[in-house]
Amino acid sequence: MTPGGLGHGVSRRLLLASAGLSLALLATVVWAVVKEARVEWRVWQGRYAALESAELATGSAEDGSRGLQQFWLPDLDRVDRCTSCHLGIADPGRMDAPQPFRTHPGRWLETHRPDRYGCTSCHGGQGEATSYRGAAHRPVPYWPEPMASRELMEARCGTCHKERRPRGTDWLARGRALMVDRNCTACHEVPGHDAAEVRSPRLDGLPIKVGPAWVRGWLKKPKGYLPKSRMGDFRLAERDVEALAAFVLPPRGKLALDAVELSKADTEKGGEVFRRSRCVTCHEINGRGGTLAPALTHVGAKASREWLYSWIRGPHRFQPKTLMPRFRLTDEEARDLAAYLSYEFGDTPEGFEGSDAPPSPALAGEGRSIFEKRGCYSCHELEGFPTLARIAPKLLAIGDRVLEPAPLVARGTLPTLPNWLFTKVSGPEQVLESARMPTFGFAEDEAAAVTVALLSLRARETPPARTTRDPVRPPYEPQGEFGALVRRYRCLSCHTIGGSGHVTSTGLPLSTVALDRIGSQLTRDHLERFIGQPYGVRVALPERMPHLNIAPEEARVLAGYLSTVMVDDALEGAVPSDAATVARGKELFDRHGCAGCHIVGNSGGYVGPDLNGGGARLKPGWTVAWLLEPERWKRGTLEPDRGLTKPEAEALAAYALSLPARKAKAVGR
Amino acid sequence: MSNRVVRSIFRVGWPRTRQQRLRAMLSSLVLHVHPTRVRVHVLRPSYTLGLGLVSFYLFLILTVTGLALMLYYVPHPAAAYRSMKDIEYAVTFGMFLRNAHRWAAHGMVAVVFLHMCRVFFTGSYKPPRELNWVVGVVLLLLTLALSFTGYLLPWDQLAFWAITVGTAIVAYFPVLGPQVRYLLLGGHEIGQAALLRFYVLHCLILPLAMAFLVALHFWRVRKDGGLSAPPDRLHRRVPAWPHLVFREVLVLIAVLVLVHAAALLFDAPLEEIADATRTPNPAKAPWYFLGLQELVGYGAIFGGVVVPTALVLALLVLPYLDTHPRGVGVWFAPERRVANAVFAVVAVAVVAVTIVGTFFRGPNWAWVWPW
Amino acid sequence: MAGALGLLGALARSVLPDVLYEAPRRFPVGRPADFPPASATFVSERRLFVFNTPEGFYAISAVCSHLGCNVNHEAGKGFACPCHGSTFEEDGRVRKGPAAWPLPRFSMSLSRRGELIVDTRRTVGPDFRLKA
Repeated sequence: MTPGGLGHGVSRRLLLASAGLSLALLATVVWAVVKEARVEWRVWQGRYAALESAELATGSAEDGSRGLQQFWLPDLDRVDRCTSCHLGIADPGRMDAPQPFRTHPGRWLETHRPDRYGCTSCHGGQGEATSYRGAAHRPVPYWPEPMASRELMEARCGTCHKERRPRGTDWLARGRALMVDRNCTACHEVPGHDAAEVRSPRLDGLPIKVGPAWVRGWLKKPKGYLPKSRMGDFRLAERDVEALAAFVLPPRGKLALDAVELSKADTEKGGEVFRRSRCVTCHEINGRGGTLAPALTHVGAKASREWLYSWIRGPHRFQPKTLMPRFRLTDEEARDLAAYLSYEFGDTPEGFEGSDAPPSPALAGEGRSIFEKRGCYSCHELEGFPTLARIAPKLLAIGDRVLEPAPLVARGTLPTLPNWLFTKVSGPEQVLESARMPTFGFAEDEAAAVTVALLSLRARETPPARTTRDPVRPPYEPQGEFGALVRRYRCLSCHTIGGSGHVTSTGLPLSTVALDRIGSQLTRDHLERFIGQPYGVRVALPERMPHLNIAPEEARVLAGYLSTVMVDDALEGAVPSDAATVARGKELFDRHGCAGCHIVGNSGGYVGPDLNGGGARLKPGWTVAWLLEPERWKRGTLEPDRGLTKPEAEALAAYALSLPARKAKAVGR
Repeated sequence: MSNRVVRSIFRVGWPRTRQQRLRAMLSSLVLHVHPTRVRVHVLRPSYTLGLGLVSFYLFLILTVTGLALMLYYVPHPAAAYRSMKDIEYAVTFGMFLRNAHRWAAHGMVAVVFLHMCRVFFTGSYKPPRELNWVVGVVLLLLTLALSFTGYLLPWDQLAFWAITVGTAIVAYFPVLGPQVRYLLLGGHEIGQAALLRFYVLHCLILPLAMAFLVALHFWRVRKDGGLSAPPDRLHRRVPAWPHLVFREVLVLIAVLVLVHAAALLFDAPLEEIADATRTPNPAKAPWYFLGLQELVGYGAIFGGVVVPTALVLALLVLPYLDTHPRGVGVWFAPERRVANAVFAVVAVAVVAVTIVGTFFRGPNWAWVWPW
Repeated sequence: MAGALGLLGALARSVLPDVLYEAPRRFPVGRPADFPPASATFVSERRLFVFNTPEGFYAISAVCSHLGCNVNHEAGKGFACPCHGSTFEEDGRVRKGPAAWPLPRFSMSLSRRGELIVDTRRTVGPDFRLKA
């Protein structure tokens, strides 16, 4: 459209205008093209091509074609274009390349191939984007899923990994274990947790156990009596405390204490019983000891001696689900022990004083309605009440919850969902003043772990093909004589069989010894001896089996059952015991430095078990299997995997089993 | 040989003589919408401001960019939002196309409104141009409808709730309101049926209607004797080629430059994906309906039904009420003082409530100062 | 002529939908035990509130009768719409506009399996309570 042709007869001004506008049009077109050519992902690919062409001279570059890269995962509804810029992510040779070209750290891509999982499944962010900002490396408006930090990424692991303790996740596993420990599922419906795991004492026997002073103090502040209490602080007003005490204290009739002649009690003997039985395995005293059971530091100020006596003699009458075994003690021993506990640990904790006056019965009705409204019966069973009161919101999609930012903004906290959950878990009243949820008094790292576990509960269901779960196993219910003994001595409070057994707030059972195949691991004689008289196999461990004073006939029954039923045929087998093999084994023993952890003769380390007299304790087939793959039999074990061959393992086993027992010397066990 | 091919397409060569220039207008499908000669008066930019032409060009730009976008956009709730993200991030010139489309659309709504004002203030609706004015009013409504149906397609929170409010206003119309809403949405809620209907309306039904009416609009201009002019300027004419065609090309280039610049400088918004369970606060209709939403805030029937219906009816019957031939062809002719004043007041009021609804209303529709 | 009219009529009828790709208008919202006593629960996917009072259950729509935004509920203080400031009493009547009509109350029933069923096709008066 030359000005000459069309413009003939058109004014000069217009011709100038047309020239100017044409130029402007050209400029905008050029601008658009340049803008597109300089779009972020193309720039990065250009740089990567430069990196590669430098290598091409040395002949080490890969395929040169590029363009937008994309992983399309229809079943996860994800489109990830991250590798358009992160070009070297799967190339092991790019460890030293500058970002964004660097190889992915660790071995994650071996188990989570990008073409099967994409990138955003684990990292979050906006996979469809092709710019740094758009990909939500940092939070951007209108994209609710920013990229996750390392700890918060564990929450994303949890959207597919539904097990209680997914491998490689510290925060997630801990958080899930804490949610079990604090009975979250008593009030909240939580996917993956069911009502059976709620564990708290029944309240039927409370009136014969404690007095009004203790009840008042406890309701006001449980941690005032028990610093590690699992029960949260319900932030009750004075009047509510009174009302609840009035409701909960009147006697309920059925249970009664045993009669005992306390004047004859000998507290010194009681102390001996206490130490011999190793109560501290489960009960902590003054901050030292196990946390499986309540601390006994002030138990004398809580419960009467008659009650302690009755409890020790038969705990299961009062709390059928308690973890505590029924020790085999004589009545005198029980009496002495009760007196000792009451005398030695009878101080009231500081600040825990409450009035001992009986509460007014008129408040009992009010107390009952508080008991209902706050959902007490959801954790604590009480006759006349249903077992569950899910008074709290479902946690089904808590990881996608839309939060009210106001409470956080008011406190100067960035209003993100993780912050909101963390604040709520640490102190529910900080988010909503009238909240019914108790304050659990989590430490910061505990609250963070619970937050991670909560964030793994998302609205969008992961397809079943992508989900891993703990195998569903029916609970193990031992039968017959064996079963009666297991129930009496509560073996499953510390040990697991078939996946059943108590799990502590760390997510692991108290004992690292699972009994599933114990009959193939230890000899029958050793089992019988040990059950009757447990001792510290690994001297370095603080925990060891308490002395339940199991009778010899009982130990025989237990050992017999374990040796004949709790076996794994794959572990049966023998090892040669000829001198040459044993010598070979000793040579291997020395070469691999096993004495660094194990005692042989009079010297060695304290990390692993003493190997003297190993043949009387260990079984050959098991020893070989253990040496070959320790991690398989005990996750997280300290025993190293030396990559032994079968013959080497057999030789070592032969050596270990040939070691004579140590002469009885003062060893300081 | 090639000469014969060229001659078979372009019957008249590049016009050089006066006679060729006149014949050029008649020999081309595109060009023959022009008369062979035009009044000098209407060529002046200060007369028409080229607004009608700009509207038409914007419509063309929207069609072209829209066609390109149609190759990538998927009109289903499960895929629409992601296809928008694809256009933004994974289509070469995708964002540019989307921006151009959106800003041309907003521009077209504003420009057709201004074009209507121009036509009114120059009295160019008076006989014999009554029908063309009515067609123009219908075109205005079609423009709004096209913008409204297109607004839903990104399927983000902005789109979803704007259309929730917009279709709720439709339901307030007496007797047929709820039925019309049901028909529009293909159901009771905004879901996959609504998205598909809006898509078909936006890409097919309404553009076809608009194309037909635009053609009618242009044809009527010719039949009504060309663009209006005052009585003393009716007879000075010049050949359309080059004077009219050249200016039209200039305006085209100018419109392209502006749309491109806008597309390069400002990105069209895309909020989070539509979520029927969460209402953003505030939830605003598209800007050209915010005046309506502001009025609706005072009373749903009054603001949503009475006022808009009255305005549209007034516009439609206008040329049949005011047939006095004086004051045509000049801006703000003194003979038409009253009419101009009334229209100006109404136009300013419409703009004012729209401004209020856009800038002065915040969460809970409470009054806020925008600075 | 008649044929042409008939065709036009058929065309017009065809654009009126016969099946809806929407959530059903009669649906369960959960069991009575899922709704704590003396509470109002917002069922977000269905855009309604379920009230559990000593006299029984009832359900009120959360869709503002003005222009369709979701209203918020504050226990004892009724409903408030964030879009244009309409407020409603606890029973759904309009307290302050621009909304012109009360929030509809939906019919409820109890299924044979013990689930609460809400039917949004039928509205009921303010005295409606479902005993469950």
